Amino acid sequence: MIGTYLPMFLMIAVAIILALLFFTGATFLGGKLDKTPEKMKPFECGSESSGGNHLKLSVKFYLTAILFVVFDIEAVFIYPWAVQFKNLGWIGLASMFGFLAVVVVALVYVVKKGALEWEN
Amino acid sequence: MALAFILSPLLVIGAGALLLMLAEAFGPKHNRTAGLALGCTIVFGAGFAFSVGAWLYGVEDVAEKELIVPWLVIDRFSIFFDGLLCLGGAIAALLAGGYLREHEMERGEFYSLLLFSTVGAMMVASAGDALIVFLGLETMSLGAYALTAFRRTSPRSAEGALKYFLLGSFAAALLLYGFALLYGATGHTDLAGIGEAVRAGGPHKTMIIVALVLVLTGLVFKVSAVPFHMWAPDAYEGAPTPATTYMAAVVKAGAFAMLLRVMLTCFTEKGLMSWSAGWPPVLAWIAVLTMTVANLVAGQQESVKRMLAYSSIAHAGYLLVGVVAAARSMPEATSSVLFYLLTYTVSTAGAFGALILCGRKGAEAVTYEDLAGIGRRHPAAALAFSLFLVSLAGIPPTAGFFGKWFVFRAAMDSGFYLLTIIAFVNSVIGAYYYLRVLVFMYMREPAAGAPVATPMKSGYVAAALILSAVLVLILGIVPSQSLDVAIKAASIFGPPGG
Repeated sequence: MIGTYLPMFLMIAVAIILALLFFTGATFLGGKLDKTPEKMKPFECGSESSGGNHLKLSVKFYLTAILFVVFDIEAVFIYPWAVQFKNLGWIGLASMFGFLAVVVVALVYVVKKGALEWEN
Repeated sequence: MALAFILSPLLVIGAGALLLMLAEAFGPKHNRTAGLALGCTIVFGAGFAFSVGAWLYGVEDVAEKELIVPWLVIDRFSIFFDGLLCLGGAIAALLAGGYLREHEMERGEFYSLLLFSTVGAMMVASAGDALIVFLGLETMSLGAYALTAFRRTSPRSAEGALKYFLLGSFAAALLLYGFALLYGATGHTDLAGIGEAVRAGGPHKTMIIVALVLVLTGLVFKVSAVPFHMWAPDAYEGAPTPATTYMAAVVKAGAFAMLLRVMLTCFTEKGLMSWSAGWPPVLAWIAVLTMTVANLVAGQQESVKRMLAYSSIAHAGYLLVGVVAAARSMPEATSSVLFYLLTYTVSTAGAFGALILCGRKGAEAVTYEDLAGIGRRHPAAALAFSLFLVSLAGIPPTAGFFGKWFVFRAAMDSGFYLLTIIAFVNSVIGAYYYLRVLVFMYMREPAAGAPVATPMKSGYVAAALILSAVLVLILGIVPSQSLDVAIKAASIFGPPGG
């Protein structure tokens, strides 16, 4: 059993050793870190950083992301079903329609509740 | 058709949840929640009626049920739980109908969440495959997390929900890891297949034991047994009381269905069931810890709601005694656990309901002091509360007495004398804090100038209390019929080692 996992353990060990090596190497070989205020600033693609780090985001972004997940999962289920369409037969068709009906109900609910209206 | 009929409780609740969701979205703008509580109760009632129908129809002769094996296993056990979960859900829905309006947080999502979460619990109860167990568990829990956080403006509610969510996800992950290891060791995800492979033995003995530990931890967490109970008091206290009722009754019943099904299907190998090297002694220790810690801590609570939360943990301990006994005499002890769940569901749902009844908007009954004098000013509310507390304490002629009686007798018959004595002593300790409420209701008067609790008036809450009270009395006076049902439901588990 150990033999099966040996390459994996080796890789983990190499990764840890390499990381430690780089860190210690940088500490001893590299120049001293010059802690000027300019250097301690967060790097934002070279432009001046602005604003605080406690940014308030509209809950709409979150809602959109969650809805994306729901319908994304739907697609994930439909693809393998479509590939196996002939083999699954009528039971497969009926199951998929049942599943889609539930998702459609969710979509109707979402629209009716106004979750997709960006304004107001 | 027969298949649709024995699946009908699940289908009815699922379809009802979708319908209710749409009804709320399409309802009149000015009064979106009109009739939702009633609708939700009707759906639960229909689910219960269909469970009874499926029970009477019988599932043994339905050949088509093999179509959905091993994903869903429809047997007497799952139909028993379908009915039980619908009953608990109906009481929670009725309580919500009164409570949410009184406290001005009536939003339609509550009822849909109740129904969706119950669908998950029913899936768990009839799951025949580890993946379905997990799927049902998550469906059930996600609903419960959202219900806990339903008091949007209350920090306590958010705190409870966050703790519940984080610890619950952690437990689910442990459970999933255990299932993954079982799959690795046996090559099966269906519970029956895992059980057979485990009984047949094999080279992966160590892996199976590690999996057993992980699965047991996840399951015990869900039934909120000590030392995995930390989330329960905060979640129960923070949640709006109907949601607490739901968690204490339905979610707990679902978790016990899962515990029984998984342990008594997967881990029935002789060595794993033995007292020297198996899971029964572990579970026995957990049961002892759960009962003792919960009872001692419950006695120190000043908040009645929190006391009832600890009481619910303590009852998980008594139930675990039955599960331990089930390792030795499977169908008999399992039936006592099922019957106990029935009595516990109606008693605890009633107790939370009575607590709801004793409070008003802005003046929820929270502490013992808040209940002072209720007995004289509002005898009906106090009488109902007393009945449920007496039942929780296990005093005849109420349901709780026979629940405890059968579990303790099953434990005695299986030879767990010490465990039974500990459980008995604990139920005597438990009586202290239940009766303390009675003392405050009947023998104390509120301190001068203290706000006086005025019970709310609500047909919904009254209906829920009457329903629970009738059931508590029926189960306490003529328990034999319901016990027969429980025995029949438990008979799907063969004698140990078989």
